[in-house]
Amino acid sequence: MINTRSARRRLSVTVLTLLATIVIFSFKLIDIQVVRAAELNQQSFGKRSVAVPTYGVRGNIVDANGVLLASSVDRYDITASPKVMNALADPSNTHPIDPTAQIADLAAATGESVEDITAALSADPKSDFAYVHKLGTLEVLQAVKALKIPWVYAEVHPSRTYPNGAVAGNLVGFIGTDGPQAGMELDYESCLAAANGSSTYEKSKDGVRLPGSTVTNKEPVNGGTLALTINSDLQFYAQEQLAAQALKVGADWGTVMVVRVNDGHIMAAADYPSVDPNDVNGVPNTALGSLAFSTPYEPGSTFKPMTAAMAIDQGMANAGTKVIAPGRIYFPNGQYIKDVWAHNDLRLTLAGVLMYSSNTGISKFSDMMSQQTRYDYLTDFGIGVKTAVGFPGESAGSLPPISDWDQVTNYAVGFGQGVSATSAQMASVYQTLGNNGVRMPLTLVEGCTMPDGTVTDLPSDDGVQVVSENAADQTVLAMETVVTQGGLGKQLTIPGYRVAAKSGTAEVPENGVYSSDRVVSVAGLVPADNPQYVVIVTLGKPDIMKTSAAAAAPFKDIMTQVIKTFRVEPSTAATPETPIIW
Amino acid sequence: MSTAYAFARPQERQPTTAPRHVEIVTTRSQRRARPKSFYAVVAVGAVFALLLAQLLLSIVLSDGAYQISSLQAEQNQLARTEQDLAERLDLLASPQSLAQKAEALGMVMGSGSPAFLRLSDGAIIGTPVAASGVAGALGTDGGLVANSLLVAPLNPENPDSTSNPSGAPSQNPQGNSVASANGELPSPTTR
Repeated sequence: MINTRSARRRLSVTVLTLLATIVIFSFKLIDIQVVRAAELNQQSFGKRSVAVPTYGVRGNIVDANGVLLASSVDRYDITASPKVMNALADPSNTHPIDPTAQIADLAAATGESVEDITAALSADPKSDFAYVHKLGTLEVLQAVKALKIPWVYAEVHPSRTYPNGAVAGNLVGFIGTDGPQAGMELDYESCLAAANGSSTYEKSKDGVRLPGSTVTNKEPVNGGTLALTINSDLQFYAQEQLAAQALKVGADWGTVMVVRVNDGHIMAAADYPSVDPNDVNGVPNTALGSLAFSTPYEPGSTFKPMTAAMAIDQGMANAGTKVIAPGRIYFPNGQYIKDVWAHNDLRLTLAGVLMYSSNTGISKFSDMMSQQTRYDYLTDFGIGVKTAVGFPGESAGSLPPISDWDQVTNYAVGFGQGVSATSAQMASVYQTLGNNGVRMPLTLVEGCTMPDGTVTDLPSDDGVQVVSENAADQTVLAMETVVTQGGLGKQLTIPGYRVAAKSGTAEVPENGVYSSDRVVSVAGLVPADNPQYVVIVTLGKPDIMKTSAAAAAPFKDIMTQVIKTFRVEPSTAATPETPIIW
Repeated sequence: MSTAYAFARPQERQPTTAPRHVEIVTTRSQRRARPKSFYAVVAVGAVFALLLAQLLLSIVLSDGAYQISSLQAEQNQLARTEQDLAERLDLLASPQSLAQKAEALGMVMGSGSPAFLRLSDGAIIGTPVAASGVAGALGTDGGLVANSLLVAPLNPENPDSTSNPSGAPSQNPQGNSVASANGELPSPTTR
């Protein structure tokens, strides 16, 4: 009996112990497999897996012919671990390294100075990270890799390069450390921007990717290609000629606009000075954008063809309409307007008024229309309104409301004083006159092609009929006399081509008073019988030559280059005789 | 139970005899049903075969992984080299670089009188005038449109190619240019 009892006791103890063990194990099992499963899985995965950022490539900016203006490139940051270096250099090692020699090698390979590298490495000896060299080229990377220094590493640093330098640098803009800063880089960020992706893989002990373990968490998205309407060769030529002339006449600034007449596309928009996006610090801050869009000025006589066109459109005049231009026009309060040269009453036609650039003459045509009519026409021509380009930092110029027009301003807006416009707006005015009176939206971007082939940001082709075809044609005809009979004629004539042009020598107001400084410009169309291109050259505050003759030489050179670049055929018909006096 | 009769006689002890030895013998059908070693060998062999196949498979897989790894590294390297070369090419093709090199070869801008030769009928459109100027697009100052990337020597084997800041025509060391074949235009020997 005793035996049986002790046997029973032993059995029950065993069973209880077993049960207890099972319960404990079950708890632990549920805890690991269910309660903390996610956390533990993540911990273990974190030890095996490697997360790699995958870089999307920022889109290129190209000109109308696909020439690269901005492109993304890989650069390499050379980094080092001072901690590892010091550990390896520890004299108690069997084979301690010699950091001094290695730093010297590194300096030779990266072009940094030994002092700079030593300083970077000794800033925090316990740190695992220090920059040795930033944004190195592939050449630097290969030289550094060849050194096989165990405490030196490299990481990819996507960067931006502008192979054509300052050619269209004013338009393309640039990227700073905080992202795009100016120009198209800034304005079309939505087109160009890339999104980085990320993926993870599991690696073996020797760093090799385990087959089938790659998990892409997020696909990188490349940016789109932005095509500008610019012709980079013409842009180069325009910038070169503009800069040369600006230096020659001592101008503070200058702009050149070349616009295709039939669709308002900008072929070249040159500025002086203008930025090389590869070296942003090389120019003053004011030159980081595009002066042609950002800098309004009182344009002066280049405004007169607009006044002529509105008078013709109103049925008040044609190219041969006769007026008497007095030397001065006095107002009751004693103020007066005058021409730049003293003269008695001149019997001029509308063409003659443009050719002689008579302020009093054009004022006679202003008198034919109400202020409201002229104000509306100016607004329709785009004066006081930003162009369709919407360039970063673009100015709308200023067109004072009629209530602010005094007796002088009433006439002055007819010849481009008391009102300001940018070179881009002036180019748009001449585009309208050349395009049978239809103002096309000024366009700098042909489109943005996304990596999947979709094209966005296509230019608008909604034109506005500002003046009638007849009014525009008559005005262009009248402007031809400036070249055929005007004082600048010889400097503006291109053999075989009919050129319509208008010069402007505008006074620059300073603190409310007109100073001795001038803004000189020549704007024109080629060929005059069927205008295809607008060229407008403006030089601000020249020191040496303060007349529009300063802008005539680059105007002719650039127009000749436009003819060659776009193969504009010579005019077939001779210029018709347009009387200028009567 | 009745206990009226009590027998004081001790109980007679039963004669004890050794129990008969009983042997359990399997029947023929039971013997037939017993597992044969053949099956065991097949099963164990199959397990080993599977293990071996798995081992070989993973060897091949990991070998592939190393191959992929090295090919990816090579691809990466080649892509970098390609990008580097494309970058140099774009820089060499920039207007500043081309104008500089063209003018170093003695090329000049055409005249201010544009003229065209129409290929379809050979007609000359415009009034051709021979180029007379010695100055090119760059003028005498060697170019005013900056390109800071061009400062670094693009072509280290041939440093002379960009060392003509004056833009003046350089002397052709090879002497006069000659037509290399009948009907071809004379051209200077370029390096």
